[in-house]
This record gives sequence, C-alpha cells and structure tokens, in this order.
Amino acid sequence: MQLRLSLPAMALIMAANTQAEDYVTFQYLQYQENDNRVSVSAPSVMINKDFGTDFTLNASFVADAVSGASPTYYAADTVSSASATTVDSASGASAYSRGKNIAADRVKYGNVSFFEQRAAGSVMLTSRFANRDELIVSGDFSSEHDFESISGAAEYMHWLTPAKNQSLSLGVSFQSNEIVARCVDEVNCDASSGASQEKQATAVNAQISFMQNINRTSYIKAALFYIADDGYLTDPYLNVVRNNNGVTADVVGEKRPEKRRGYGGTVRYANALTDDLTLQVGYRYYQDDWEVRSHTADTDLFYDLTHSWRFNLGLRGYTQSAASFYNGTSNYFTDELYATSDYRMSDFHAVTYKADVRYAFTKAFSVNLGGNYYDQSTGLKAVSLLTGFRYNF
Amino acid sequence: MVQLFLSLALLLTLSGCVQEVKPWEKETLSKETMEPSGGNALARKFEEHIYFSKEASKGGGGVAGGGCGCN
Repeated sequence: MQLRLSLPAMALIMAANTQAEDYVTFQYLQYQENDNRVSVSAPSVMINKDFGTDFTLNASFVADAVSGASPTYYAADTVSSASATTVDSASGASAYSRGKNIAADRVKYGNVSFFEQRAAGSVMLTSRFANRDELIVSGDFSSEHDFESISGAAEYMHWLTPAKNQSLSLGVSFQSNEIVARCVDEVNCDASSGASQEKQATAVNAQISFMQNINRTSYIKAALFYIADDGYLTDPYLNVVRNNNGVTADVVGEKRPEKRRGYGGTVRYANALTDDLTLQVGYRYYQDDWEVRSHTADTDLFYDLTHSWRFNLGLRGYTQSAASFYNGTSNYFTDELYATSDYRMSDFHAVTYKADVRYAFTKAFSVNLGGNYYDQSTGLKAVSLLTGFRYNF
Repeated sequence: MVQLFLSLALLLTLSGCVQEVKPWEKETLSKETMEPSGGNALARKFEEHIYFSKEASKGGGGVAGGGCGCN
C-alpha cells in the first residue's frame, strides 16, 4: 500500500513513528512448566487493516487449552495418601479438598490438576484527525468455563509539537469480570456437591504517557499508570492452612482483600544503533496497597543479518516483594482476615531469556520461530515456544 | 514517581541532546524493531499474559487488554 502513496501522503504518515500496514499473522504458542505443572497450547490470529490514512482496524483472537496442576494445600483423604502430590480434580471430591479440624498429618501441599479452555478476542480501532492526533478505542472479551471478562478502553494521543516529535497520551479502561467460585465462605465445601457462587470484580486502569523522539534513530517513552481493582480478587481454587496446632488444622480457601490499588511507572528507550542493529531497554516500577512492590527491567537486541533474516535476543529481570497477607507455611495463619499461600504473592525474583528468528521469504511473507526460558526463584521454570507467519497484503 | 516523570519530560524537552526530526527523517524510527513489540504484537501479548499469570504485578503496557482467570 505504501508504494502507491504520494510523497506528501507518505510524509503525513511518517510524521508519526509507526507506519501502519495491512497484515494478517498467525502465531502458535506452546508453553510448558516444570514438574508437570501448567501446559498451554494457544493458537492465535491477528489482522490489521488500514482504511485510508485515517483509520486502522486491528482484531485478534486466541484460543487457549490449559492443562496441568497448581500447587496448593489440601486435605488428603487418608494419611496413607501422603505420598500423592497430584489430586485429580476430575473426580470431584478431592479436587480442592478442604476441611476444618482435620488431623494435622492430613494437611498436604501438592499439585491439584485442572483443565481449562479459554477463548479471548480483541478489536481496536485507531482514528486519526486532521492534526494527526489519534483516538484508539478497543474492546476485549475473555471466556472460560469459570470466568468471563469484558473490557473497553479508550486512549487519546496528542502531538505536542508541529514536527510531531513529542506526544502525550491519556488512556483509560474498564474491565468487568465474573468469576464462578466454589466453596466461598466455606459453605458447602465439598466440591463434589457442585456448590458454586458467581462473584464479580472490576478493574479500572488509567495511564498517561509521554513520548519524545531524541533524534532520527532513537526515542524514549515514559508512562505513569494507576489500577483500581474491586470485588472478588481471591483465587477460588487455592487453599491456606489455619489453626494448625500440630494435632488438628483447618484447610480452608484463601482470602484476599476486595480492593486493590496499584500504581507505577514505565520508561522505554529504543535506539537504532546501526542500520541493522536495534536496542530496546525498558523498566517498570509497580507497587500497591497489598504491599507488593516490583521492579522489572528488560532489554531486546534486534539484528537484521540480511533483508530476510532477523535475529532477536532478549533478557528480562523481575523482582517483587510479598503481599502483606502472604505466608507459604502450614502453621502460620490463625484468624487473620486475609490469608494466601499462593507463591505468586510471595517474595521472589525471576529471569527470562529470549531468542527468536524471523525469515522473510518475500516482502509480504515471513515466518518466525522463537523461545523463552523463564526461571523464577520459587522453583517455577517454564519454556515457551512460539512459531507462526505473517502475510502483508 | 510523578515528579520523576515530569522531570524526565522536562529534561528531554530542554536537553540539548534532543534534535528536531523532520517527517522525512523518520524512516528508522518507524522500523518494526523500534516498536515496543519488536514487530510481533501477538508475541508481545503472549509474553504479557504469561507474566500477568505468574507474577503479582501488572500494568504499564497500555490500557487496552482483556482479563483472565489465571491470577
């Protein structure tokens, strides 16, 4: 499409940093965690289509098939099952086994198996005005058998200078989630009874960002964000142990606050070091009123060996502090209002190593293959492989 | 955090290291590899989704995006 544009039209588009293209891309993700925990197969497709120079429509769809197991405390059926680390959720009763005043030696920590399918989609429309400011409106949905989510977002990007080298963006989104929770409030906690309750949660996300072109080969972008979560924020499948006196204990569902306020900032710097080599460096700071604080730093290096071959190496480091109501042991909680033993709420750090390659058969058609290795200090390790193609039309 | 953000914006605006880039000089800035996604938006979506489901932090990647029952 760009070849048919006149020079003024090209300059109009190039005034902005990104150059829109018509394309369709298909990507297939295979994700596997260690210890036979979560395994994900996820095909996805995205289409991007310009309508003149003023509108761009982007739509994507993904279908996940997730299987595996999540580690949590549970009440073993018998003492003799102590060696079992996997509980079959399909059979029902033992899946999320909870119980009050049970023998302490029935308290086990192991993987509870599950299978989940998720379908999620997104549609985004970008409108450009006469001054080339942009309004982006988007909608998302996500559906699982025990979770439904819909969200809408709007973002306005304003060029601060006629040369369009500085921009300010303001965006806000609203998300509504519906969660099917079993055994909440410890009522009818026999999973085989099928007892469940529908719970709601909402999330409001606001972000302001500033972009500055530094020169013809580099730019920097900084953003501040604020997230307000309200409603049922507990994981309905995870348990904690309370009142463990060594003889008896309670294995009950975890409980998190029904309000969470998080905020933070990001900065990203991109520099085309040479015609073939591009460096990106990013940083994010996050904290919330659950006392989680985190630092994320990432870097990517892109190398265009030829017009056909592109290589990408990436590295990401992450560290977080524990939520105030987290404890991973089985003899800590008594009557605290909030309690979780979810390792994701613990104090940990993680590193991701990334590598991928793209080969372009023609200007219109390319294929890609890449992999990530994620190593978390909690013991979680994960490998993800991604392959797919892109067709520019 | 807000002060840092404003300071950065002001510093960049006033700094001598910032040069005015003409529209016809933005070819490099418009390269796929200069985009935050590196030219593969779906791959970036997958990455963000994995991090969201395995870590307690979120946000900073823009306001658009759906939820999941994974965290």
